[in-house]
Amino acid sequence: MKILILNGNPHGDTGSIDPYVDHLVEKIKSAGHDVTIITLRDHKISPCIGCFHCWIKTPGICSINDDARDITRQFIAADHVILASPLMMGFPSHLLKNAMDRNICIVHPHLEEVDGEVHHKKRYDRYPVISLLLEKEADTDEEDIDILKDIFRRQAVNMWSSVGFVHFTESPFEEIIHAITVH
Amino acid sequence: MRLLFINASPRGKKSNTGILMQHFIRGFLETPDNTCEVEYLVKYKNNLNALTEKFSAWDNVIIGFPLYVDAMPGSVKAFMEALAPLKGRKDLPALGFMIQCGFPETAHLRFVAKYCEKFSRRIGCRFLGCILKGGCEGLDVQPTFLTEKYFSLFGMLGLDFGKTGKIDEDILTKLARPEHLSAENMAMVVPFINQALWDAQMEKNGVLNLSFDRPLMP
Ligand SMILES: Cc1cc2nc3c(=O)[nH]c(=O)nc-3n(C[C@H](O)[C@H](O)[C@H](O)COP(=O)(O)O)c2cc1C
Repeated sequence: MKILILNGNPHGDTGSIDPYVDHLVEKIKSAGHDVTIITLRDHKISPCIGCFHCWIKTPGICSINDDARDITRQFIAADHVILASPLMMGFPSHLLKNAMDRNICIVHPHLEEVDGEVHHKKRYDRYPVISLLLEKEADTDEEDIDILKDIFRRQAVNMWSSVGFVHFTESPFEEIIHAITVH
Repeated sequence: MRLLFINASPRGKKSNTGILMQHFIRGFLETPDNTCEVEYLVKYKNNLNALTEKFSAWDNVIIGFPLYVDAMPGSVKAFMEALAPLKGRKDLPALGFMIQCGFPETAHLRFVAKYCEKFSRRIGCRFLGCILKGGCEGLDVQPTFLTEKYFSLFGMLGLDFGKTGKIDEDILTKLARPEHLSAENMAMVVPFINQALWDAQMEKNGVLNLSFDRPLMP
């Protein structure tokens, strides 16, 4: 399986995300998968400016020519994308969100009904499974986790993905490897 | 009353957030002695701390933004992270949000609204509420018969907020319709938006035939 990890940790030298991801990469390789890691803080990913050129001027291509274009290319080519980030004010980092926003070119502007709600049509035939790997803050509680999961589930529907797992850096690696394998 | 309105749309001044904000502020300023200042987040993108400092100098702050992939845009999240150091300070403003989105149903906005409420609690601001409105893409080209009703509701919300310091629940309920689309509505609205909003723009740009292109195909 082709696994892509987007590491949205803004600070490499602190917290548990970077060491966890490094270790996880080794485990994923040992399980026989092909894994690529992109550390977002080392790349230029401007925030989306809402121009919609990726829908109405150059269908499928964002108007901003920076590193996000290649990240989107790798996103759509992967079987499973793991979005890794520390929680910051109860939500993954702005680095990760900017990368997700820049991905809207992988769907089509047309609306269609999905389970009784309006969503976008597909542009590609297949989309990766998406998962979250998070580091908790000191004050993270159940309510935060519920809000996060609800939003993440909706993001997956909107991007024609399904949710693989939501795990924290305190989870044993085996659980993640298992979750990757069953999806 | 003093209000700081932060228009946090990545589109800056020319935004749907801006259009709705103007109607709200128009109502708000009808009460004598009320004052309102508007700031644009895009102006501060390389200097978020300057906006953070302004934030704590007001009694009331409303942050307006569009829904991006079921949540706040990344640039708005960056601002929320920049506010983290204010956590627990005694001089924080009461905080509200105005969130609108492209899809017609309010259901899409409920979860980010929960996040915003939790954000207010986490940082220690009294929470004013979330003003939610779907169906807002292309507000400047939507026919008047569609927009006039909710523009006036935004004016009423602003007026009421300017008098009472509260965001009126009844008006929010009216604005929130439709929470979901009925099957008949769905069958009407979807082809209309696809044609009038999207195909029309692609046609104008001469790319309608490329509409389903897959330039990043592996
Ligand atoms: C990157 C991106 C992601 C979006 N995601 C959503 C979404 O998940 N749901 C939705 O209803 N609208 C979505 N929209 C549409 C915007 O919310 C809508 O166009 C809004 O009116 C823009 O407001 P503004 O002009 O104030 O920036 C998205 C737009 C962009 C550019």
